[in-house]
Amino acid sequence: MLESRATIGPYWDEPLPDDEHLARQVEHGREEHLMLDARPPAELNQLTLARMRQTGPRFWIALAGLGALTLAFFIAWAIQIVSGLGITGLNRSVMWGPYIANLIYFIGIGHAGTFISAALRLMRMDFRRPIARAAETITLFGLACAALFPIIHVGRIWKLFYMLPIPNQRDLWPNFRSALFWDMMAITTYLIGSTLFMYVALIPDLAMARDHMTGWRRKLYSALSLGWRGTEGEWHRLEVVSNLLSFVIIPVMFSVHTGVSWNLSMAIQPGWHSAIFGPFFVVGALYSGVAAVILVMIIVRKTMRFGYFMREEHFNAMGIFLLILTLTWIYFYFAEWITNWYGNLPLEKAVQAMLTGPLAPLFYLMLFCNIVVPLGTLWSRRVRTSLPAMLVIGILIQVGMYIERVLIVSGSLSRNELPFNWVNYTPHWPEVTVTLGTLAFLGLLYMVYTRFVPIIPVWEVYEGQAMQGSRRVGRAVMSTRTEVH
Amino acid sequence: MTHLTRRDFLKVSAAGTATAILAGCAQETERWVALEPYVRAPEEQLAGIPNWYASTCRMCPAGCGIIVRVMNGRAVKIEGNPEHPVNRGKLCARGQSGLQLLYNPDRVTGAVRQGERGSRKFEPLAWNEAINTLYEKLDAADQAVAIWTGSATSGHLCDLFARYAGAVGAPAPLRYDLTSALNSVGALAAANNALFGQATLPGYTLAQADVIFSFGADFLGAWLSATGFGVEFGQFRSQRFGKRGLLVQFEPKMSITGAKADRWVPVQPGAEALVAGALLRIIADEGFGGAERAGLAAALAGEVDLDAAAAACDVPLADLVALARAFAEAERPVAIPGGALAGASNGVAAVTAVQALNALAGSSGLGFTPALPTALAAPGWSSYAEVQALVERMSAGQVRLLLVHGANPVYDLPPGSGIADALAQVETIISFNPLVDETSALADYILPDRTYLEGWGYEVVQPAFRGLPVVSSQQPVVGPFHDVRPTGDVLLTAARGIPAAAAALPWTDEVAFIREQITALPKGASGGDDDEVRWARFQQHGGWWPEAAPESAAPELAAQGTLDVAGAAFDGEAAQYPYYLHLFPSVLLGDGRGASLPWLQGAPDPLTTVSWQTWVEINPTTAQALGVDHGDVVRVESPHGAVEVPVYVFPGIRPDTVAIPLGQGHSDLGRYARERGSHALHLVGAALDDVGANLAWSSARVRVTKLDKKQALARLESTIDPGEDIHVPF
Amino acid sequence: MAEEQSNGHKWTMIVDADKCTGCQACVVACHAENNVPVSSEDEVIRGRAMHWMRIERYWEGEYPNVKARFLPVFCQQCGNAPCEPVCPVYASYHSTEENINIQVYNRCVGTRYCGNNCPYRVRIFNFWAPRFDAPLEQQLNPDVTVRSPGVMEKCTFCIQRIRRGREQANIEGRPLEDGEIIPACAQACPTDALVFGDKWDENSRVAQMVPSERQFKLLENLGTEPAVYYLKGGETHVGE
Repeated sequence: MLESRATIGPYWDEPLPDDEHLARQVEHGREEHLMLDARPPAELNQLTLARMRQTGPRFWIALAGLGALTLAFFIAWAIQIVSGLGITGLNRSVMWGPYIANLIYFIGIGHAGTFISAALRLMRMDFRRPIARAAETITLFGLACAALFPIIHVGRIWKLFYMLPIPNQRDLWPNFRSALFWDMMAITTYLIGSTLFMYVALIPDLAMARDHMTGWRRKLYSALSLGWRGTEGEWHRLEVVSNLLSFVIIPVMFSVHTGVSWNLSMAIQPGWHSAIFGPFFVVGALYSGVAAVILVMIIVRKTMRFGYFMREEHFNAMGIFLLILTLTWIYFYFAEWITNWYGNLPLEKAVQAMLTGPLAPLFYLMLFCNIVVPLGTLWSRRVRTSLPAMLVIGILIQVGMYIERVLIVSGSLSRNELPFNWVNYTPHWPEVTVTLGTLAFLGLLYMVYTRFVPIIPVWEVYEGQAMQGSRRVGRAVMSTRTEVH
Repeated sequence: MTHLTRRDFLKVSAAGTATAILAGCAQETERWVALEPYVRAPEEQLAGIPNWYASTCRMCPAGCGIIVRVMNGRAVKIEGNPEHPVNRGKLCARGQSGLQLLYNPDRVTGAVRQGERGSRKFEPLAWNEAINTLYEKLDAADQAVAIWTGSATSGHLCDLFARYAGAVGAPAPLRYDLTSALNSVGALAAANNALFGQATLPGYTLAQADVIFSFGADFLGAWLSATGFGVEFGQFRSQRFGKRGLLVQFEPKMSITGAKADRWVPVQPGAEALVAGALLRIIADEGFGGAERAGLAAALAGEVDLDAAAAACDVPLADLVALARAFAEAERPVAIPGGALAGASNGVAAVTAVQALNALAGSSGLGFTPALPTALAAPGWSSYAEVQALVERMSAGQVRLLLVHGANPVYDLPPGSGIADALAQVETIISFNPLVDETSALADYILPDRTYLEGWGYEVVQPAFRGLPVVSSQQPVVGPFHDVRPTGDVLLTAARGIPAAAAALPWTDEVAFIREQITALPKGASGGDDDEVRWARFQQHGGWWPEAAPESAAPELAAQGTLDVAGAAFDGEAAQYPYYLHLFPSVLLGDGRGASLPWLQGAPDPLTTVSWQTWVEINPTTAQALGVDHGDVVRVESPHGAVEVPVYVFPGIRPDTVAIPLGQGHSDLGRYARERGSHALHLVGAALDDVGANLAWSSARVRVTKLDKKQALARLESTIDPGEDIHVPF
Repeated sequence: MAEEQSNGHKWTMIVDADKCTGCQACVVACHAENNVPVSSEDEVIRGRAMHWMRIERYWEGEYPNVKARFLPVFCQQCGNAPCEPVCPVYASYHSTEENINIQVYNRCVGTRYCGNNCPYRVRIFNFWAPRFDAPLEQQLNPDVTVRSPGVMEKCTFCIQRIRRGREQANIEGRPLEDGEIIPACAQACPTDALVFGDKWDENSRVAQMVPSERQFKLLENLGTEPAVYYLKGGETHVGE
C-alpha cells in the first residue's frame, strides 16, 4: 500500500519520518547518497565558492613544484627546437617515440571526462552530477596537452602551418589521405566540442559565482556567464543544448581515439597494421581516462575538502565502471595478441618476441599494472571505496597504459621488414623531461582552473537533489526520481 | 532549423559523412589538389655549366683515370674516365673521396717550419725562404741526402727525384710505403721473375676466364688495382650465353672477394703454398685436363701431403680434388696470389706456387705490362731490405737531409723497424705532404705539395689491363686552393743552385719536363700528329695509350724444377700465442691515407658495416671460447706489441685466426683520423721474409685476452639478432 | 596513384646482386653527388647513420660453409608508395613525369610518418643541421640543395641528372638516349651491378633485363610496385 509523502516544504528540510525504523533508513540514505542528503542551495553555493578562493601554503608549494617542472618542459622544448631532434633518442628506424605515445596517452586520459559526462547524462545517471565538471576539465586540459605533442614532435615546427588548409596561391592543400590529417581534424573537433560542452554547463555556475563575488572576479564572471539570469527559457535552452552536445560529442570522442589509432594501424608497420586498433584504442583510452578521473576525484576531494560532494558511492560507481573497462581492455588486448601469435607471421612474432625478450620488464610491468592489480582488487567494494587503494590503482593504470603506448609505438618500430635495420630505442633526457613536464603542466592548469571555476557543478547537484523524493512502501523508504522528458 | 530534432541531426550528419567519404575515395586527389613539383627549378634560374677535366687518381697507385666536374672553379665530383683502359669509367670509394683531400680542413696551407720536432707548432714560412732553405740544406747535405717517396708521388716527381739523386751522387730515392708492403709488390715481382723472367707486377684478364682461383688476393677490395679488377669481375660474371664463371677464394678470413666467391676455402695462414702444390699434385696424379696439363703439373709439383693440405683448408680431400679438376679442365683458368700470403715468411714461395698454376693453361689470363716505346717507365718499388739499409744509414748519422714525399714512414713501418729513432738522427727532415701526418709531425719543414687535383703529373700504369700500356695524365682541375707549390717546381728551383743538379735538371718547371716526356711518345689512341696536339690530347683524354695492345705472347714458363711448398714460420710460440694474426687493408681507408677523409671514415666496412673504428674479427666458436661478444674490448698481444680493440664476431674467419683491419690508429693526419682506433701494424715484427728482401708483415701469432671494457661498435647493420624466424628477403 | 604510360618515363634501376661486391663506391658517390652529410661515430652507434644508399650484408650458413650476401638498398621509387599517402602535406609525392617518388624538402614539416611507413627504411631524417667542416663545403654539388634540419630526405634517382639530361636532349631536339642519364651510384659501380634506364623505352637495357628469371623485387609481397628490380645472386657449384 502506497502512502504519499506527508509533508510539503523545502526538500532539504524534509523532516525524518516518525517511525524510528524508517527514520534510520532515511538517515542512512542521506549518509550514503548525495542526492538524498539535500542542503539548501545557498549552502551548496557557499561550500563550492569558499574552496575556490582558498589557497594554503601547500597549494603554493604544489603550484611552485608543478610550475618548475612545466618550466623545465618548455626549456627542453626550446632546446630541442634550436638544436634539432638529434638530442632525442630517436633513430633511423624508430622515428616515432614517446612524443607520439604521449599524444595517445594524453588524449586517452582526456577521453573519459567528456564521455562520463555526456554518456551518463544521456543515461540519466545521477552519480555523474558532482563529478561531471572535474571530469570534463581533465578532458579539456588533457586534450590541450595532447595537442602540443604533434607540434613538439615535428622536425620543423616553424612550417607546421602547412598542415592547415589555408587557401593559398599555389592551390596547395594538406593531404586528405593522410591519417595524420584526419587525426588533426578529429582532435580539433573534439577540443572545440568538449570546450563548448563544458562551457555550456558552466554558465549557470559562473553566473552564481558572479552573484557572490566582488571586484575583478565579478567582472570576469559577468563576462563569462554571458548575462545568464536563470529564466525558464534559459534553463530550457541549456537543457536542449546540453543534450544535443552530449549526443554529438560521443561519436566525436570515438573518432578521436580511432583517429589516433589509425595513425598507427594505417601504416604497414608490423605490430601496427591491425584492424582492431580503432576500438582497442578507444577502450584503452577510456580505461586510462576513467582511472585518471578517479585520480582527479581523489585529489580534488582531498585537497578541496569536498567530502560532501564526492562520496563513497561515487568512487564505488567509478570503480565498477573501471572494472568493466579492465575486462573489456583485457579482451581486446588478448584478441590482438592471440591473433598475431596464432598467425605466426615472422615479423609480428618478432615484435612479440621483443616484448617478452629485451623489453620483458616493461611488458610484464604493464601486464601487472593493467591486468593483475585492477582485476584482482576492483571486485571488492571495500577497495573501490577506499581512497588510498583507488589512488594506487589509478596510478598503476596510468603507468601501465603509458607503457603500453610506448611499447606499441616505439617497440613495434624497432622491428621492421628488413632485419638489417632493426634498431632499439632508448629515450634521452628531452623525452623524459618533456613527458614529465607535460604531466606537471596538466596538473598546473588543473590547479589554477579549480581556483577560477566552480569545480563542482552546483546547479546539477542542486537539480538532482531537487528531483529526489522518497516514497514509503510498507516498512521501507525508497527514493524516487522525477526526471522526465 | 527550429525543429531540428536529435534524430534529424544524426541523419544529416551521417549523410554528410557518407558523401564526403564516397567523394574522397572515388576520385584521384589531384582533382582538388594542384601539385607542382618543387624539384622543377624556377624557369629563370639557369643551372651552371660544368667543366669536366680528365686526370689521374692518386688515392692509390693503381693509376685509374678520372674526370672531375668543376663548377664555378670548385671541383664538385670525381668520376671514372670512361675512355681510360684501367678503370673504364668506374671509380671506387677512395677515388671518389679525393675531393675531401683537396678541401680537407686540416691541410697545411703554406710552407711552415717546426721549431721543435713533434711539437706540432708550425710557423709560417714565405715560399722564397722555404725554397732557399731547401737549397741550403741540399747544398750542405750533398750526397748525404735521402729521398723517400710513396704511392702518392707522381711518376714525374719520382723521375725528377731520381735524376737529382743521380746527379749529386746520392743513393736512388726510396719508393716504399704501407700500400706497397700490403700489395706485396716485392714478392709478386720476385715470383714473376722466378717463373717467367718478368720482375714486374702481374696483370690478369678475368673477363673471359672461366675459373679464377684467388689465394688471399682481395682483388675486388684493396689489392693492386681493385677498380680495374672490379670491371673485369663484372664481365666475368656476365659472360656470353649466361656463363658466369667460377671464383674460388682461398683465404683465412673472408674478404669481399671471398664473399663474392662461389666457394670460399678457409685456408690456414701460411699453408697456401701447400694447397697450391696439392692442387698441382692432384692434377698430375689424376691426369686432369689432359696429358699436357697433367704433365706440366707433374713437373712443377713435388711431394705433397694431400691430407695435410685438405686439413689446412678445413675441407675434405674430395673437395680439393673437385677444385683441382675444375681448374685443370677449364679453358681459361686464372690463379691470383696476393694479400696476406705474400706477406708471410714464405711469401715469395707461396706467390710462386700459386702463380705457377697459371702456367697449366698457358697463362692465358696472366699478362705483364708491356714496356713503353720511350724510356718512360714506372718507377720501381723499393724492397724492405732497402728500407732497412736507409734506416741503418740514418741511425748511423749518415743522412743529413731526408726528403719525404707521398709516404708516411712513421706510420707505414712497424715500430720494430727503428724508424722513429733513425729519424731523430737525421739533421733535417723536410716533408712535402699535404696534411700533417705522423712523419710530417717529426719534420723540421713542411713544404706542402699541391694535391693531385691541383697539380701536374703522370703515372705509368702498372699493372696494365688487357696488355695496354698506359701513361695516365694528371693536370690541375682547379687552381691551388692554398698557398702551396708543386714539389717538382720547388725542387727544380732549389736544384739550380747546385751545379751538378742544375745540369741534370735543366727544365724551367715541371710542366716542361712532363711535356717533354709525353711528346716523345708516338701517336696514341687519341691521335695527334704534332707535339702540340699530342700534348693537348694527352690532357684532354686523360692519358696516352696505343690504339691496340702490342702483340705479345702469353708468358712462357722459364723456371724448372719443383715448387717449394713448405709452410710459413710465425713469430711466437703456438702455446703462448694461440691465434694467427691476419692483417688486411681496409677496403675504404686503404693503407691509412683514407682515414683523413670523412666520406671514407663514415662509409661502412662492407662485411662488418663498422665505420670510424678498428675492430678485431673473431670466429663465433673462438669468441664463445673466449667469452666475448660484439663490442667487448680485448687485448690482442703479439711478441712485438699489443692493441686494445673491440670484438666483431665474424662468421667468415678460421677459428684459429683473428683479423684486424689496418688504416686507423693515427696520432696525426687531421681531425678525422687522429686518436681513432688502433694501428695493428704495431703487432708485427720488422723481420725480413725467407728471401731476405720483403717485410714479413703477416707472420705474427697473437693471444687474445678479454678486458673488462665495452665499446659500442659503430655498425650500420642492426645489433639485434633477428633469430631463426626472420629470413633474408632474397 | 596509378602510373600511366602515356607520358614521361619510367625510370628504373636494376641491381645485379650477383655482381655487387659491397665495395661502397656507390655509397660514397651518392654522398658526393647529393650532399649527404657524414654521420659521426656516435650518431652511427645511436642508429642514425645517414646514407641514401646502403649495402646490407646478410650472413648465410656457418663456418666453414658461410656466405655473405650483399644487398644494395636505396629508395625503391615505388609505383604504389606507402610513404606518399601518409604525408599530411604532400612532401612525399609521386612525379607523373619521371614516375618516381619525390621528396619535396621545403614542403616537409618533419612528421616522419613516411619514414615509419617505408618498409625499406630508406628515408633519412635530418636529426641535426648538416655539418660540413670548412672548407669541405666547397665540394657541395650546386645542383642539389643541402637539406635543413628536421626534414626527411632520400634517394632521388639523381633527379638533377635526369632533368639535366632531359633539358640537354630538348635543347638538341632529340629523344633521350638509353644510358645518357646515369645516377651517381650506377656511374661509379665498378662491376656494373647497377643499371639505370627507362623501362618504358623498349630498347633500353633495363627493359631487356627486367624479364630475367633471376629478377625479383624487394618485399614484393607488400605490393609497393618498386621501380628497382633485383637480380638474384647465382652460384657455380664445385665440390661437395
